[in-house]
Amino acid sequence: MNPILLIASKESGELLLSTRGLACLLAMAVVLSGFGLLLVGDTELSLLDNAQVVYDMAGIVTALGALLALVVGVDTVAGERERGSLVPLLLTPVSRDSILLGKLGGVAIAWVAMYGLAAPYLWAVGSTGQNLVDGLAAVALLGTPVVLGFGFLGIGLGACLAMARTGLLIGLIALVLAASPLLLGPSLRQSAIGRAFDAVNPFSAAVNAYDAVIIDSVPIATQMLNLGTTAVWLALALWFARTSFHRVAR
Amino acid sequence: MILHVSRVALALTLILVAAVARAGDVSVDLAPDPKNPPAPQMGDNILFRSVIRNGGPTTVDGVIGWLSLVQIDPGAEQPVDLEDWSAHKAVTATALKPGETLVAEWPLRLIQSGNYRVVVSVVSRDGGGIATSPFADFEVREKPVVESTRVLPVAVGLPLLIVAALLWRRKAA
Repeated sequence: MNPILLIASKESGELLLSTRGLACLLAMAVVLSGFGLLLVGDTELSLLDNAQVVYDMAGIVTALGALLALVVGVDTVAGERERGSLVPLLLTPVSRDSILLGKLGGVAIAWVAMYGLAAPYLWAVGSTGQNLVDGLAAVALLGTPVVLGFGFLGIGLGACLAMARTGLLIGLIALVLAASPLLLGPSLRQSAIGRAFDAVNPFSAAVNAYDAVIIDSVPIATQMLNLGTTAVWLALALWFARTSFHRVAR
Repeated sequence: MILHVSRVALALTLILVAAVARAGDVSVDLAPDPKNPPAPQMGDNILFRSVIRNGGPTTVDGVIGWLSLVQIDPGAEQPVDLEDWSAHKAVTATALKPGETLVAEWPLRLIQSGNYRVVVSVVSRDGGGIATSPFADFEVREKPVVESTRVLPVAVGLPLLIVAALLWRRKAA
């Protein structure tokens, strides 16, 4: 079997079949369920709020996906190091790039699992409203590079830092900072600093595209600039992961 | 002093009469489309048609007609921002000749439940008054935006499914 596929299937198996991985997915499902149940009890929602609900859910799914990818990414290198299984892996007659590709594949499969978990929730809250399909497509198109980027960031941090806990902490701080557009209203982001932050923040690019596609019914094809921002983020995170992983000595 | 006040009052009256007369040249009719659903609910699209007519002997220049929507539920009376309800907010005509009419359609997407009233208002560039159509009232029935029959099975079922997988995994281990 191709070593890349072997490593990727081992990584994804740890997520989908291990107790730890399933507990992670359960936590994600509980968050999405809580949000869905909160909405059911609200009788004051207008049709516009329905689009807002899908938009909010898309943002939450992206944030949770990035969190999951970050945890998986840090654990895939730093966790293996702490468990003592990284050195034997590096000593196998497989190139570093192949090992890294396998681990990247594990992060990608984690996101696919998260997306698969989130799709029924998006359908449940958004099927009576507008732009559900476009919303799902926007999450797939713009959420994927954001989420994978955080996974690759996690791999890079796990590779260049001695302790998984430190890598996780730094990654979480970066994620909270990047995901701040979910908490801050548009007016707070209209200042010069807010606009500058929005221009370089991949999470903002994804969230702004969700806003345009889901709430304003703008065609997703017009979101190329936002897509470009997320693609640049993915490329930078991949470069960081590769550089850091090639420097791993033990 | 009294004479001065009387002259001012007379002048104001003349201006007002002229304005009313000018506004009176233009009339507006408003009617719902017969194809509108009889009991519309949130999410439905309905249509109103207005006919702006110049009934006067002279051309009226710079005619602007617009739709206003107000909610008239007791305790919730308020003007409604049309931004979300309709993309068609105004109709204009450079000039409306004597006897000429301007027909406009006003599609509305029903966003929120409640009782509503629409009215079309018309002004012209030189006219000092405003012409308004008769009111058209309608009620929007509530429609659950987030349906519990869809959310509950997913919100309860998926975590239970994962818990079952966890228990199965622990048992297998």
